[in-house]
Amino acid sequence: MAILASALNIVGLLFLSHAVYSAYEHSLLPTTALIPPTPSRTLIPAFLNPKIDLPLDITLETLFSVVLLCIGVVISSPALMPIQWNVWAGRMERSKEARLVTEVGVGGGNPYAVLEERPGFVDIRRQRREFAEWKGGKGVGL
Amino acid sequence: MSLPLLQPSTATSFPTSIALTAQAPSFLKSQSTWFAALPYPLSLLTNTESQEKWQIYENLFLASLRTGADATAWQCLEALVARFGKTNDRVIALHGLYLEATAKDEHGLAAAMRLYEEVLIEDPTKFSIRKRRAALLRSAGKTAEAAQALVNILDASPTDAEAWAELADLYLSQGAFDQAVFSLEEVLLVMPNAWNMHAKLGEVLYLQASRTESVGEKARLLAESFRRFCRSVELCDDYLRGYYGLKLTSTRLLELRSTSQKQQQNTSDPSTGDLAPPSTETVKKLNAIATAKLGEIVRRASSGEKGWDGFSKAELSAARDLLDKSTLKIER
Repeated sequence: MAILASALNIVGLLFLSHAVYSAYEHSLLPTTALIPPTPSRTLIPAFLNPKIDLPLDITLETLFSVVLLCIGVVISSPALMPIQWNVWAGRMERSKEARLVTEVGVGGGNPYAVLEERPGFVDIRRQRREFAEWKGGKGVGL
Repeated sequence: MSLPLLQPSTATSFPTSIALTAQAPSFLKSQSTWFAALPYPLSLLTNTESQEKWQIYENLFLASLRTGADATAWQCLEALVARFGKTNDRVIALHGLYLEATAKDEHGLAAAMRLYEEVLIEDPTKFSIRKRRAALLRSAGKTAEAAQALVNILDASPTDAEAWAELADLYLSQGAFDQAVFSLEEVLLVMPNAWNMHAKLGEVLYLQASRTESVGEKARLLAESFRRFCRSVELCDDYLRGYYGLKLTSTRLLELRSTSQKQQQNTSDPSTGDLAPPSTETVKKLNAIATAKLGEIVRRASSGEKGWDGFSKAELSAARDLLDKSTLKIER
Protein backbone atom coordinates (compact mmCIF):
# COMPACT_ATOMS: atom_id res chain seq x y z
CA MET A 1 0.00 0.00 0.00
CA ALA A 2 2.83 2.36 0.86
CA ILE A 3 4.52 1.63 -2.47
CA LEU A 4 1.30 2.24 -4.39
CA ALA A 5 0.74 5.52 -2.56
CA SER A 6 4.23 6.86 -3.21
CA ALA A 7 4.05 5.74 -6.86
CA LEU A 8 0.77 7.63 -7.26
CA ASN A 9 2.24 10.70 -5.57
CA ILE A 10 5.36 10.68 -7.75
CA VAL A 11 3.46 10.16 -10.99
CA GLY A 12 0.95 12.83 -10.00
CA LEU A 13 3.71 15.31 -9.20
CA LEU A 14 5.45 14.59 -12.54
CA PHE A 15 2.26 15.12 -14.50
CA LEU A 16 1.42 18.26 -12.55
CA SER A 17 4.81 19.87 -13.12
CA HIS A 18 4.67 18.85 -16.78
CA ALA A 19 1.24 20.44 -17.16
CA VAL A 20 2.29 23.63 -15.40
CA TYR A 21 5.43 23.93 -17.49
CA SER A 22 3.48 23.26 -20.70
CA ALA A 23 0.98 25.95 -19.79
CA TYR A 24 3.81 28.39 -19.15
CA GLU A 25 5.53 27.59 -22.45
CA HIS A 26 2.22 27.83 -24.26
CA SER A 27 1.58 31.28 -22.84
CA LEU A 28 4.90 32.46 -24.32
CA LEU A 29 3.86 31.62 -27.88
CA PRO A 30 2.78 34.95 -29.44
CA THR A 31 0.61 33.61 -32.25
CA THR A 32 -1.35 30.80 -30.69
CA ALA A 33 -1.84 32.19 -27.23
CA LEU A 34 -3.66 35.40 -27.89
CA ILE A 35 -7.37 35.22 -28.20
CA PRO A 36 -9.59 38.03 -29.33
CA PRO A 37 -11.96 39.36 -26.65
CA THR A 38 -15.31 37.67 -27.22
CA PRO A 39 -18.62 39.16 -26.13
CA SER A 40 -19.71 35.77 -24.75
CA ARG A 41 -17.39 36.23 -21.72
CA THR A 42 -18.95 39.41 -20.48
CA LEU A 43 -20.40 37.62 -17.47
CA ILE A 44 -16.90 37.27 -16.01
CA PRO A 45 -15.29 40.43 -14.59
CA ALA A 46 -12.54 41.79 -16.77
CA PHE A 47 -9.70 41.05 -14.36
CA LEU A 48 -10.70 37.37 -14.17
CA ASN A 49 -10.99 36.96 -17.93
CA PRO A 50 -8.09 34.78 -19.10
CA LYS A 51 -5.95 36.30 -21.79
CA ILE A 52 -4.70 32.90 -22.84
CA ASP A 53 -6.64 30.04 -24.30
CA LEU A 54 -5.08 26.78 -23.10
CA PRO A 55 -5.40 23.70 -25.27
CA LEU A 56 -7.65 20.95 -23.92
CA ASP A 57 -4.85 18.38 -23.37
CA ILE A 58 -3.04 20.61 -20.86
CA THR A 59 -6.26 21.16 -18.91
CA LEU A 60 -6.98 17.44 -18.89
CA GLU A 61 -3.42 16.66 -17.79
CA THR A 62 -3.69 19.11 -14.90
CA LEU A 63 -6.98 17.65 -13.70
CA PHE A 64 -5.67 14.09 -14.06
CA SER A 65 -2.51 14.82 -12.09
CA VAL A 66 -4.47 16.50 -9.29
CA VAL A 67 -6.80 13.49 -9.03
CA LEU A 68 -3.78 11.17 -8.85
CA LEU A 69 -2.21 13.32 -6.12
CA CYS A 70 -5.45 13.41 -4.10
CA ILE A 71 -5.75 9.63 -4.18
CA GLY A 72 -2.06 9.22 -3.32
CA VAL A 73 -2.20 11.58 -0.34
CA VAL A 74 -5.32 9.94 1.06
CA ILE A 75 -3.88 6.44 0.70
CA SER A 76 -0.55 7.39 2.24
CA SER A 77 -2.12 9.03 5.33
CA PRO A 78 -1.72 7.10 8.61
CA ALA A 79 -4.57 5.05 10.06
CA LEU A 80 -7.20 7.10 11.82
CA MET A 81 -7.24 7.25 15.60
CA PRO A 82 -10.37 5.79 17.21
CA ILE A 83 -12.88 8.46 18.18
CA GLN A 84 -15.51 6.12 19.57
CA TRP A 85 -15.19 5.52 23.26
CA ASN A 86 -15.69 1.76 23.17
CA VAL A 87 -13.26 1.22 20.30
CA TRP A 88 -10.59 3.31 22.00
CA ALA A 89 -11.12 1.54 25.32
CA GLY A 90 -11.14 -1.89 23.68
CA ARG A 91 -7.85 -1.22 21.96
CA MET A 92 -6.22 -0.40 25.28
CA GLU A 93 -7.56 -3.55 26.91
CA ARG A 94 -6.40 -5.67 24.01
CA SER A 95 -2.91 -4.59 23.15
CA LYS A 96 0.13 -3.85 25.27
CA GLU A 97 1.41 -1.41 22.70
CA ALA A 98 -1.59 0.90 23.12
CA ARG A 99 -0.92 1.05 26.85
CA LEU A 100 2.67 2.25 26.63
CA VAL A 101 3.48 5.59 28.20
CA THR A 102 5.04 7.66 25.42
CA GLU A 103 5.62 10.81 27.46
CA VAL A 104 4.45 12.25 30.74
CA GLY A 105 0.66 12.33 30.70
CA VAL A 106 0.35 10.58 27.32
CA GLY A 107 -0.62 6.92 27.02
CA GLY A 108 -0.64 4.62 30.00
CA GLY A 109 -3.71 2.53 29.31
CA ASN A 110 -7.01 2.65 31.11
CA PRO A 111 -7.19 6.06 32.82
CA TYR A 112 -9.67 4.64 35.31
CA ALA A 113 -7.32 1.90 36.51
CA VAL A 114 -6.19 4.35 39.21
CA LEU A 115 -9.57 3.81 40.84
CA GLU A 116 -8.55 0.22 41.52
CA GLU A 117 -4.87 0.79 42.20
CA ARG A 118 -5.44 3.98 44.19
CA PRO A 119 -1.88 5.34 44.34
CA GLY A 120 -2.92 7.91 46.95
CA PHE A 121 -3.84 5.14 49.37
CA VAL A 122 -1.08 2.70 48.60
CA ASP A 123 -0.40 0.26 51.45
CA ILE A 124 3.36 0.04 51.07
CA ARG A 125 3.90 -2.31 54.00
CA ARG A 126 1.57 -4.94 52.57
CA GLN A 127 3.21 -4.56 49.16
CA ARG A 128 6.63 -5.08 50.66
CA ARG A 129 5.41 -8.15 52.51
CA GLU A 130 3.84 -9.58 49.37
CA PHE A 131 6.98 -8.85 47.39
CA ALA A 132 9.16 -10.62 49.97
CA GLU A 133 6.84 -13.64 49.89
CA TRP A 134 6.83 -13.68 46.11
CA LYS A 135 10.59 -13.49 46.01
CA GLY A 136 10.90 -16.19 48.67
CA GLY A 137 8.63 -18.45 46.64
CA LYS A 138 10.71 -17.60 43.53
CA GLY A 139 8.02 -16.06 41.43
CA VAL A 140 5.04 -18.31 42.01
CA GLY A 141 2.08 -16.79 40.21
CA LEU A 142 2.29 -13.50 38.34
CA MET B 1 14.69 10.41 28.27
CA SER B 2 14.43 6.68 28.43
CA LEU B 3 10.90 5.37 28.01
CA PRO B 4 11.04 2.16 30.08
CA LEU B 5 11.73 4.22 33.18
CA LEU B 6 8.54 6.18 32.59
CA GLN B 7 6.29 3.12 32.74
CA PRO B 8 4.67 3.15 36.16
CA SER B 9 5.23 0.03 38.21
CA THR B 10 1.71 -0.94 39.06
CA ALA B 11 0.97 -2.67 42.32
CA THR B 12 0.31 -5.99 40.66
CA SER B 13 3.50 -6.55 38.72
CA PHE B 14 6.57 -7.46 40.70
CA PRO B 15 8.84 -8.13 37.69
CA THR B 16 8.31 -4.53 36.51
CA SER B 17 9.28 -3.26 39.93
CA ILE B 18 12.42 -5.38 39.89
CA ALA B 19 13.34 -4.16 36.42
CA LEU B 20 12.85 -0.53 37.47
CA THR B 21 14.90 -0.96 40.61
CA ALA B 22 17.68 -2.55 38.59
CA GLN B 23 17.84 0.52 36.35
CA ALA B 24 17.91 2.94 39.26
CA PRO B 25 21.68 3.13 39.95
CA SER B 26 22.62 3.90 36.35
CA PHE B 27 19.87 6.52 36.09
CA LEU B 28 20.88 8.21 39.33
CA LYS B 29 24.51 8.20 38.21
CA SER B 30 23.57 9.81 34.90
CA GLN B 31 21.81 12.60 36.80
CA SER B 32 24.72 13.52 39.08
CA THR B 33 27.36 14.91 36.74
CA TRP B 34 29.99 17.48 37.67
CA PHE B 35 28.48 20.26 35.55
CA ALA B 36 25.10 19.98 37.25
CA ALA B 37 26.69 21.40 40.41
CA LEU B 38 27.97 24.62 38.81
CA PRO B 39 27.12 27.96 40.50
CA TYR B 40 23.98 29.89 39.57
CA PRO B 41 24.42 31.65 36.21
CA LEU B 42 26.33 28.74 34.72
CA SER B 43 23.85 26.16 36.00
CA LEU B 44 21.22 27.70 33.74
CA LEU B 45 23.18 26.47 30.73
CA THR B 46 23.37 22.90 31.97
CA ASN B 47 19.78 22.57 33.06
CA THR B 48 18.34 19.06 32.77
CA GLU B 49 14.94 20.01 34.12
CA SER B 50 12.02 18.12 32.58
CA GLN B 51 8.74 16.57 33.55
CA GLU B 52 10.08 13.14 32.64
CA LYS B 53 12.99 13.46 35.02
CA TRP B 54 10.83 13.95 38.10
CA GLN B 55 8.29 11.39 37.02
CA ILE B 56 11.14 8.91 36.74
CA TYR B 57 12.41 9.86 40.17
CA GLU B 58 9.00 9.17 41.64
CA ASN B 59 8.61 5.88 39.77
CA LEU B 60 12.03 4.75 40.92
CA PHE B 61 11.27 5.77 44.47
CA LEU B 62 8.07 3.73 44.58
CA ALA B 63 9.56 0.72 42.83
CA SER B 64 12.62 0.56 45.04
CA LEU B 65 10.54 0.94 48.19
CA ARG B 66 8.39 -1.93 47.01
CA THR B 67 11.37 -4.16 46.33
CA GLY B 68 13.06 -3.20 49.60
CA ALA B 69 15.94 -1.19 48.12
CA ASP B 70 15.67 1.47 50.79
CA ALA B 71 18.99 3.19 50.07
CA THR B 72 18.00 3.89 46.46
CA ALA B 73 14.61 5.10 47.59
CA TRP B 74 16.24 7.49 50.04
CA GLN B 75 18.48 8.88 47.27
CA CYS B 76 15.45 9.54 45.05
CA LEU B 77 13.57 11.12 47.95
CA GLU B 78 16.50 13.40 48.73
CA ALA B 79 16.60 14.59 45.14
CA LEU B 80 12.85 15.24 45.19
CA VAL B 81 13.10 17.16 48.47
CA ALA B 82 16.00 19.21 47.10
CA ARG B 83 13.97 20.12 44.03
CA PHE B 84 10.46 20.67 45.40
CA GLY B 85 11.09 21.59 49.03
CA LYS B 86 10.07 19.96 52.26
CA THR B 87 6.60 21.51 52.36
CA ASN B 88 5.32 20.21 49.04
CA ASP B 89 2.23 17.97 49.54
CA ARG B 90 3.44 15.27 47.28
CA VAL B 91 6.93 15.21 48.73
CA ILE B 92 5.55 15.01 52.28
CA ALA B 93 3.37 12.09 51.23
CA LEU B 94 6.38 10.34 49.68
CA HIS B 95 8.43 11.01 52.80
CA GLY B 96 5.67 9.51 54.92
CA LEU B 97 5.57 6.54 52.60
CA TYR B 98 9.30 6.05 53.17
CA LEU B 99 8.85 6.23 56.94
CA GLU B 100 6.00 3.71 56.79
CA ALA B 101 7.92 1.31 54.60
CA THR B 102 11.08 1.36 56.68
CA ALA B 103 9.29 1.25 60.05
CA LYS B 104 10.56 -1.68 62.08
CA ASP B 105 7.90 -1.57 64.81
CA GLU B 106 5.01 0.41 66.22
CA HIS B 107 7.30 3.35 67.02
CA GLY B 108 8.28 3.74 63.39
CA LEU B 109 4.64 3.80 62.34
CA ALA B 110 3.87 6.27 65.08
CA ALA B 111 6.59 8.55 63.68
CA ALA B 112 4.91 8.50 60.27
CA MET B 113 1.55 9.15 61.87
CA ARG B 114 3.03 12.05 63.84
CA LEU B 115 4.36 13.56 60.61
CA TYR B 116 0.90 13.41 59.02
CA GLU B 117 -0.88 14.83 62.05
CA GLU B 118 1.57 17.71 62.39
CA VAL B 119 1.11 18.66 58.75
CA LEU B 120 -2.65 18.37 59.03
CA ILE B 121 -2.83 20.58 62.13
CA GLU B 122 -1.04 23.25 60.16
CA ASP B 123 -3.05 22.84 56.95
CA PRO B 124 -6.00 20.43 57.02
CA THR B 125 -6.64 20.90 53.27
CA LYS B 126 -3.70 18.77 52.16
CA PHE B 127 -5.62 15.88 50.73
CA SER B 128 -2.64 13.73 49.81
CA ILE B 129 -1.67 13.71 53.50
CA ARG B 130 -5.21 13.01 54.67
CA LYS B 131 -5.31 10.09 52.25
CA ARG B 132 -1.99 8.77 53.52
CA ARG B 133 -3.26 9.02 57.08
CA ALA B 134 -6.35 6.98 56.22
CA ALA B 135 -4.20 4.44 54.39
CA LEU B 136 -1.85 4.12 57.36
CA LEU B 137 -4.78 3.60 59.74
CA ARG B 138 -6.11 0.87 57.49
CA SER B 139 -2.69 -0.71 57.13
CA ALA B 140 -2.33 -0.77 60.91
CA GLY B 141 -5.60 -2.68 61.19
CA LYS B 142 -7.65 0.19 62.65
CA THR B 143 -10.50 -0.32 60.21
CA ALA B 144 -13.14 1.73 61.98
CA GLU B 145 -10.85 4.72 62.33
CA ALA B 146 -9.78 4.40 58.69
CA ALA B 147 -13.42 4.38 57.59
CA GLN B 148 -14.08 7.45 59.73
CA ALA B 149 -11.07 9.24 58.23
CA LEU B 150 -12.29 8.40 54.71
CA VAL B 151 -15.79 9.62 55.51
CA ASN B 152 -14.28 12.88 56.76
CA ILE B 153 -12.30 13.25 53.53
CA LEU B 154 -15.45 12.63 51.51
CA ASP B 155 -17.46 15.10 53.59
CA ALA B 156 -14.97 17.76 52.62
CA SER B 157 -14.57 16.63 49.01
CA PRO B 158 -17.49 14.49 47.82
CA THR B 159 -16.28 14.32 44.21
CA ASP B 160 -13.05 12.50 45.05
CA ALA B 161 -13.56 9.26 43.13
CA GLU B 162 -10.36 7.69 44.44
CA ALA B 163 -11.49 8.11 48.05
CA TRP B 164 -14.92 6.68 47.25
CA ALA B 165 -13.25 3.69 45.62
CA GLU B 166 -11.01 3.19 48.64
CA LEU B 167 -14.02 3.38 50.95
CA ALA B 168 -15.82 0.81 48.81
CA ASP B 169 -12.82 -1.50 49.04
CA LEU B 170 -12.65 -1.03 52.81
CA TYR B 171 -16.34 -1.85 53.23
CA LEU B 172 -16.03 -4.82 50.92
CA SER B 173 -13.14 -6.20 52.96
CA GLN B 174 -15.45 -5.98 56.00
CA GLY B 175 -18.28 -7.73 54.17
CA ALA B 176 -20.52 -4.64 54.24
CA PHE B 177 -21.94 -5.14 50.76
CA ASP B 178 -24.64 -2.49 50.84
CA GLN B 179 -22.19 0.23 51.83
CA ALA B 180 -19.65 -0.96 49.26
CA VAL B 181 -22.29 -0.85 46.51
CA PHE B 182 -23.32 2.63 47.59
CA SER B 183 -19.72 3.87 47.47
CA LEU B 184 -19.12 2.32 44.06
CA GLU B 185 -22.28 3.97 42.78
CA GLU B 186 -20.85 7.27 43.99
CA VAL B 187 -17.66 6.55 42.05
CA LEU B 188 -19.77 6.00 38.95
CA LEU B 189 -21.63 9.26 39.53
CA VAL B 190 -18.31 11.09 39.40
CA MET B 191 -16.82 9.02 36.57
CA PRO B 192 -19.69 7.46 34.63
CA ASN B 193 -17.45 6.13 31.84
CA ALA B 194 -15.14 4.06 34.03
CA TRP B 195 -15.73 0.65 32.51
CA ASN B 196 -13.62 -1.17 35.07
CA MET B 197 -15.67 0.30 37.91
CA HIS B 198 -18.87 -0.87 36.25
CA ALA B 199 -17.38 -4.36 36.16
CA LYS B 200 -16.22 -3.99 39.78
CA LEU B 201 -19.72 -3.01 40.89
CA GLY B 202 -21.08 -5.99 38.96
CA GLU B 203 -18.65 -8.25 40.81
CA VAL B 204 -19.63 -6.88 44.21
CA LEU B 205 -23.32 -7.33 43.41
CA TYR B 206 -22.65 -10.87 42.21
CA LEU B 207 -20.83 -11.65 45.46
CA GLN B 208 -23.71 -10.21 47.42
CA ALA B 209 -26.18 -12.26 45.40
CA SER B 210 -24.28 -15.46 46.05
CA ARG B 211 -24.42 -14.75 49.81
CA THR B 212 -28.16 -14.08 49.82
CA GLU B 213 -30.66 -16.77 50.74
CA SER B 214 -33.95 -15.29 49.58
CA VAL B 215 -34.72 -16.17 45.95
CA GLY B 216 -36.41 -12.88 45.09
CA GLU B 217 -33.56 -10.78 46.47
CA LYS B 218 -31.04 -13.00 44.73
CA ALA B 219 -32.77 -12.56 41.38
CA ARG B 220 -32.88 -8.81 41.84
CA LEU B 221 -29.16 -8.59 42.70
CA LEU B 222 -28.18 -10.88 39.86
CA ALA B 223 -30.20 -8.83 37.39
CA GLU B 224 -28.56 -5.66 38.68
CA SER B 225 -25.09 -7.20 38.42
CA PHE B 226 -25.96 -8.46 34.92
CA ARG B 227 -26.87 -4.90 33.90
CA ARG B 228 -23.60 -3.52 35.25
CA PHE B 229 -21.57 -6.00 33.24
CA CYS B 230 -23.63 -5.13 30.16
CA ARG B 231 -22.72 -1.47 30.63
CA SER B 232 -19.04 -2.29 31.05
CA VAL B 233 -18.87 -4.20 27.76
CA GLU B 234 -20.85 -1.45 26.10
CA LEU B 235 -18.18 1.04 27.15
CA CYS B 236 -15.26 -1.16 26.14
CA ASP B 237 -15.02 -3.57 23.22
CA ASP B 238 -13.43 -6.96 23.95
CA TYR B 239 -13.43 -6.35 27.70
CA LEU B 240 -12.50 -9.78 29.03
CA ARG B 241 -13.52 -9.06 32.61
CA GLY B 242 -16.89 -7.65 31.53
CA TYR B 243 -17.72 -10.58 29.26
CA TYR B 244 -16.64 -13.04 31.93
CA GLY B 245 -19.03 -11.44 34.38
CA LEU B 246 -21.77 -11.24 31.78
CA LYS B 247 -21.48 -14.95 31.06
CA LEU B 248 -21.38 -15.86 34.74
CA THR B 249 -24.35 -13.74 35.77
CA SER B 250 -26.49 -14.68 32.78
CA THR B 251 -25.84 -18.39 33.41
CA ARG B 252 -26.79 -17.99 37.06
CA LEU B 253 -29.89 -15.99 36.17
CA LEU B 254 -31.03 -18.68 33.73
CA GLU B 255 -30.41 -21.41 36.33
CA LEU B 256 -32.34 -19.43 38.92
CA ARG B 257 -35.28 -18.90 36.58
CA SER B 258 -35.47 -22.55 35.59
CA THR B 259 -35.48 -23.74 39.22
CA SER B 260 -37.92 -21.22 40.67
CA GLN B 261 -40.69 -21.54 38.11
CA LYS B 262 -42.44 -18.22 37.66
CA GLN B 263 -43.14 -17.82 41.36
CA GLN B 264 -40.84 -14.86 41.77
CA GLN B 265 -41.23 -13.05 38.50
CA ASN B 266 -42.28 -9.74 39.97
CA THR B 267 -39.45 -8.93 42.33
CA SER B 268 -38.92 -5.37 41.21
CA ASP B 269 -41.05 -2.54 42.41
CA PRO B 270 -41.53 0.11 39.71
CA SER B 271 -42.76 2.66 42.26
CA THR B 272 -39.29 2.84 43.83
CA GLY B 273 -37.57 3.25 40.47
CA ASP B 274 -36.46 -0.35 40.03
CA LEU B 275 -36.22 -1.55 36.48
CA ALA B 276 -38.14 -4.62 35.40
CA PRO B 277 -35.97 -7.76 35.33
CA PRO B 278 -34.57 -8.59 31.90
CA SER B 279 -36.64 -11.07 29.90
CA THR B 280 -35.39 -14.63 29.66
CA GLU B 281 -34.85 -14.37 25.90
CA THR B 282 -32.65 -11.30 26.37
CA VAL B 283 -30.58 -13.08 28.99
CA LYS B 284 -30.22 -16.12 26.73
CA LYS B 285 -29.14 -14.00 23.78
CA LEU B 286 -26.61 -12.06 25.83
CA ASN B 287 -25.29 -15.30 27.30
CA ALA B 288 -24.70 -16.57 23.76
CA ILE B 289 -22.98 -13.31 22.80
CA ALA B 290 -20.74 -13.45 25.88
CA THR B 291 -19.80 -17.07 25.13
CA ALA B 292 -18.93 -16.24 21.54
CA LYS B 293 -16.93 -13.16 22.54
CA LEU B 294 -15.02 -14.98 25.29
CA GLY B 295 -14.20 -17.75 22.85
CA GLU B 296 -12.94 -15.25 20.32
CA ILE B 297 -10.80 -13.39 22.85
CA VAL B 298 -9.26 -16.59 24.24
CA ARG B 299 -8.58 -17.92 20.74
CA ARG B 300 -7.02 -14.76 19.36
CA ALA B 301 -5.02 -13.94 22.49
CA SER B 302 -3.60 -17.43 22.91
CA SER B 303 -2.67 -17.70 19.23
CA GLY B 304 -0.57 -14.58 19.77
CA GLU B 305 -2.30 -12.47 17.14
CA LYS B 306 -0.85 -9.03 16.59
CA GLY B 307 -2.41 -6.41 18.87
CA TRP B 308 -4.01 -9.02 21.15
CA ASP B 309 -1.19 -9.40 23.67
CA GLY B 310 -2.56 -7.14 26.39
CA PHE B 311 -4.70 -9.58 28.36
CA SER B 312 -3.40 -10.94 31.63
CA LYS B 313 -2.56 -14.64 31.63
CA ALA B 314 -4.56 -15.35 34.79
CA GLU B 315 -7.69 -13.76 33.32
CA LEU B 316 -7.30 -15.70 30.09
CA SER B 317 -6.98 -19.04 31.82
CA ALA B 318 -9.96 -18.23 34.04
CA ALA B 319 -12.02 -17.47 30.95
CA ARG B 320 -10.88 -20.73 29.36
CA ASP B 321 -11.95 -22.65 32.48
CA LEU B 322 -15.35 -20.98 32.45
CA LEU B 323 -15.87 -21.88 28.79
CA ASP B 324 -14.78 -25.49 29.38
CA LYS B 325 -17.15 -25.80 32.30
CA SER B 326 -20.12 -24.54 30.31
CA THR B 327 -19.44 -26.90 27.39
CA LEU B 328 -19.16 -29.82 29.82
CA LYS B 329 -22.58 -28.97 31.18
CA ILE B 330 -24.10 -28.94 27.70
CA GLU B 331 -22.58 -32.32 26.84
CA ARG B 332 -24.07 -33.81 29.99
